[in-house]
Amino acid sequence: MRNLLKLLYAYNFLILFIVLEGFALVLIIQNNQFHRAKFVQFAQGVSGNLFGKITNFKAYVSLKEANLVLANENANLRNQLASLQRVEKTRKDSLVDIIYKQRYTFMSARIINNTVGKQYNYITLNKGLKDGVIQDMAVISPSGIVGIVEGVSENYSTVLSVLNRNFKVSAKIKKNSYFGTLSWNGLNSEICQLSDIPYHVKISKGDTIITSGFSSVFPEGVKVGIIHEFDLKDGNFYSIKVKLSSDFRSLNYVTLVDNLEKGEQLKHEKIAEHD
Amino acid sequence: MIRGVYQHVFNFVGLVLLQVLILNNVELSGYINPYFYLLFILLLPFETPKWLMLALAFSLGITIDLFSNTLGMHAFACVLVAFFRPYLLKLIAPREGYDSGTEPRIKYFGLEWFMKYAVIMVVTHHFALFFIETFKFHQFFSTMLRVILSSMFTLVIILLSQLFMVKR
Repeated sequence: MRNLLKLLYAYNFLILFIVLEGFALVLIIQNNQFHRAKFVQFAQGVSGNLFGKITNFKAYVSLKEANLVLANENANLRNQLASLQRVEKTRKDSLVDIIYKQRYTFMSARIINNTVGKQYNYITLNKGLKDGVIQDMAVISPSGIVGIVEGVSENYSTVLSVLNRNFKVSAKIKKNSYFGTLSWNGLNSEICQLSDIPYHVKISKGDTIITSGFSSVFPEGVKVGIIHEFDLKDGNFYSIKVKLSSDFRSLNYVTLVDNLEKGEQLKHEKIAEHD
Repeated sequence: MIRGVYQHVFNFVGLVLLQVLILNNVELSGYINPYFYLLFILLLPFETPKWLMLALAFSLGITIDLFSNTLGMHAFACVLVAFFRPYLLKLIAPREGYDSGTEPRIKYFGLEWFMKYAVIMVVTHHFALFFIETFKFHQFFSTMLRVILSSMFTLVIILLSQLFMVKR
């Protein structure tokens, strides 16, 4: 026993080193795979308050820009409303249906923490369970898609950003509706990769990419970005670089989208999978 | 001695705040992220007990982690450099050794010595940090590029801050 203690004392530096590194590794691994969202929430408990204050200040400074964005969006909505009212006069029946069977609800939220330079980026929002945020809600901005809600606590929620190597969403080319999978390879915060578009489809630089609406998370037709570059690497499928339309470095306010018929759709898809 | 302790506590808080509030937002072209807070470990006195150094490095790393949603990553890299530091100091020691009362700064041992010391420490730290972050080797060269560019950027800031100190 005394020898053991002596040994421990002699090597205390090495032992402490191994213990601390082991602890750090455990944190990292747990964090990366299963409990990431939970750990991040824990950290938010500590840092959320501070970030909240900083964000308040930042938001105040950029009020002018925010106003501009909101004004633009208002104008857009007004335009859409005007065109809808016109339709309403001619085809009232179908429109009433749409209004009473509302499929998506929208909620605005403010970003209080955001990263773009890492491999696995997350965004923190100031809305949580209290405000009705649930897991897997879509997050969009006036200019395009932003991410998917991954973890929710009482007052905050974490969003899996598009700029995260675990993020995947079904997206399609607007002009011909061919769809593929959008993901991010971790290199450039402005460029995403669209795969699975077969080689015979005619595409060109500058084509618009929108969400396909197949995933039950994002509504159909939310803007993703435009084609920046493409080439035929392995012969059968294009590898397409998409320039994102949301500027993740200057995001301030986002909209949370809840699909009211998500449960129904998923139930059907599950039944279909069993068959 | 007590003044020295205050100095290091001040360094700790100041560097953490600087890193979290300002430098974490510096991301040039997705490749360059400076991690200036490492200066705290660089400037610890030669006489610091080894176990205390590990403990300090761990708490520094975990503090940065809490504020940047990367639980464990910075702690891992910091403890690693703190572990290597005594051996590195022995390896690059000047011929007459370290006199008591001196600190690992340019004004005691010269620019060349400090650069050798800082380069090895910073590159080790950044290497560990970026590879822990990607967690795999299959994008080895792009990660290596990030390590090199970020290290250069961090070193430039560290050097500038040290030159300022010497003048004062």
